[in-house]
Amino acid sequence: MNAVRQFRNGVISMNGREWSLLVACLLAIVVFAVASPHYATSGNAITVLRNSVELLLIGLGMTLLLAMGGIDVSIGIVMGLAAIAIGRVLGADGNPLLALVVGPLVGALLGCVTAAVVVLGRVPAIVGTLGLLGVYRTAVFVLLGGQWLSGLPATLTNLLAASVLGIPVPALVIASAYLAVWLALRRTPYGLHLLAIGNSEEKARLSGIPVVKVRFMTFVVSGVLTGIAATFYVATYRNVEMSIGSTLALDAIAAVILGGTSILGGRCSLLGTVLGVLLLRILQNGLLLIGVPSLWQPVVTGVLIIGVLGFEAISNRLPLARFQRARA
Amino acid sequence: MTEPFLVARNIAKRFGALTALADVDLEIRSGEVLALLGDNGAGKSTFIKILAGAHPPSDGELVIEGSPVAFSSPKDAAASGIATIFQELALSENLSIAENVFLGRELKRSIFGIPFLKRKEMRQRVDGLLQELDAHISDPEAPVGSLSGGQRQAVAICRALNLNARLVIMDEPTAALAVAETRKVLALTRRLAARGCAVVLISHNISEVFEVADRIVVFRRGRKVAERLAAETNHEEVVSLITGAHPDVRALEKTN
Repeated sequence: MNAVRQFRNGVISMNGREWSLLVACLLAIVVFAVASPHYATSGNAITVLRNSVELLLIGLGMTLLLAMGGIDVSIGIVMGLAAIAIGRVLGADGNPLLALVVGPLVGALLGCVTAAVVVLGRVPAIVGTLGLLGVYRTAVFVLLGGQWLSGLPATLTNLLAASVLGIPVPALVIASAYLAVWLALRRTPYGLHLLAIGNSEEKARLSGIPVVKVRFMTFVVSGVLTGIAATFYVATYRNVEMSIGSTLALDAIAAVILGGTSILGGRCSLLGTVLGVLLLRILQNGLLLIGVPSLWQPVVTGVLIIGVLGFEAISNRLPLARFQRARA
Repeated sequence: MTEPFLVARNIAKRFGALTALADVDLEIRSGEVLALLGDNGAGKSTFIKILAGAHPPSDGELVIEGSPVAFSSPKDAAASGIATIFQELALSENLSIAENVFLGRELKRSIFGIPFLKRKEMRQRVDGLLQELDAHISDPEAPVGSLSGGQRQAVAICRALNLNARLVIMDEPTAALAVAETRKVLALTRRLAARGCAVVLISHNISEVFEVADRIVVFRRGRKVAERLAAETNHEEVVSLITGAHPDVRALEKTN
C-alpha cells in the first residue's frame, strides 16, 4: 500500500487518464502505420518529436496557468515576439550567449506585461490575454515589416542540435524543465499555493497565501518557458514568418486539457500535458501523411477540446462520477 | 478561578443609526466552553466578528491576558491567538488534510535557496493532532473535498490548533451535520477545552449547548441579558431568556 502510494506520488506516476492517453497515442501510431507507408519510419518519429519541442515547453507553463484558474491565449504570439528578438540578435551577428538568453528574457518581460494586466489590473485572464493577442499580432506585423525574417545564421542551430553524452540537447532541456516545474508544483509551498488559488482565490487569501505574488510569478514562469520555446523555434527553422505561433495557444490549451488538467483550476497533471502534446502532434502528423490537408489541423484540435470538455461536463453530471472525481 | 483569557468591556457596535450591540461585558476563560445563545439578530454574530477582528467595535475594549488589544483585521486577531471556524469552512477542497492544516504557513527547508516542503514532518504533526482530537480519518492523503462535513470540521479545528490558537470561535459548527457527525464535533469541542483552549460556541440547538457548554450567555436585541453556569440552569429557563419571557429579562428591558 505504502509502496503503491510512493509510486503514485513519484515524478512519473500514471492515473487512468494518463494511461488512456498513452493507449490513444499507441493506437494512433498503429492506425497511421497501417494507413501510410511513410509513417512508421525513424525519420518521421524524429519529425514528430521535433515538432513537439515548443509545445511541450509552452504546455508546461499553460498547465500551471490553468491549474491556477488562469489562461493565456496570447502565448503563441509571445513566442513570435521572442523569436523576432532572437532573430534580430542573430541577424546583427550577435554573440551566441546573447542569442541564447534574449528569448527567455523577452519571454519573462512579456510575462510581466501579461501579469500586470491580468493580476495587477484585475482583468479576467481570458479577456486580458485576448486583448494582448490583438496588440501583439500587430506588433509582430510591424516588427517584421510585412516580410519574413529568413536565412538566419546557424549559431543556435549548432548549439541546440548538439548532443551531450548521446542525449540531444532539446531532450535535456525539456527533461530539466519538466523536473523543475514538477518540483515547484509538488514539493514547494508555491505549488500548494497555486493549487489553492485555482480552487478558490478567496479561500486562498483567507488562508494567508500571497495570491498576487503567486499569480504574478506564474505568468512570468510561463513567459520564460515560452522564450525557451522561441529559442528552439529559431534554432530549428532559422526564420520567423508572419503567422508564427498562430495556433500554438489553441494547441497548448488542447494538450493541457487532454492531459487531465481542469479548465476551472485546482487540479493538474504535468505528465498528462506531455502525453497530450504527443497525442496532438501524432494526430496532426499522421493526418498530414495520409493526405488530410494541414488546413484541417486546427479543426482536429478544436474538436478534441470540445470533445474532452463536453465529455467531462456530461460525466460530471452523473452523481457517481462526481463522487469518484472527489476521491481521485 | 484563573485569570480569564479575554475580557470584553462595554463593547458596542453601531452601523449608522442601528445599534447592533450595546454594553456587552464578557469574560472568556481558558479551558472553558462558553455558549452564545440568542435569536436571529440578537447580536451574537456581530460580537464574534468583533472578537475575530472582522469588525472594529464602536465602543468598549478587548483585553487579552491583562493587556488591551485593537484588531484592525482578522490577521491581527489570529496573531493574538484567536481562530474562527466559520460555517462555510475556508478549506481548499483539492488539497490533502496536511496541506490544508499548514496552508499559508508550511514547514520548509531551504535547499540552494529554494524552499522545499517538509512533507513528512507536516504529515506527522497532523497525524498527531488528529489522534489527539480522536478524529478518525481513514485516508489522510485524500483531498478534503472527499471528506464528510464532520471530518472537515475536524480539519478546520486542526488548522486552528496548528496556528496555536488560544481561543477558538465556532460558528454553528453542527448546523449542516448528520446526527453521528454532530456527536463527533461536540466531542471535539470538549477536547479543545480540555487541551486548555478557550472555546466560544454559537448554536441554535439548546440541548446541544447543554451537552458541551460550561457557561451560557444569552443575547437579546443587541444586549447580553443573562449569564448562567450550565449546571445551574435548565432548558426552560434558557428558552425564556432567549424569547424574553423570563422575569429578569422583562425587568431589564423595562429599565432600558
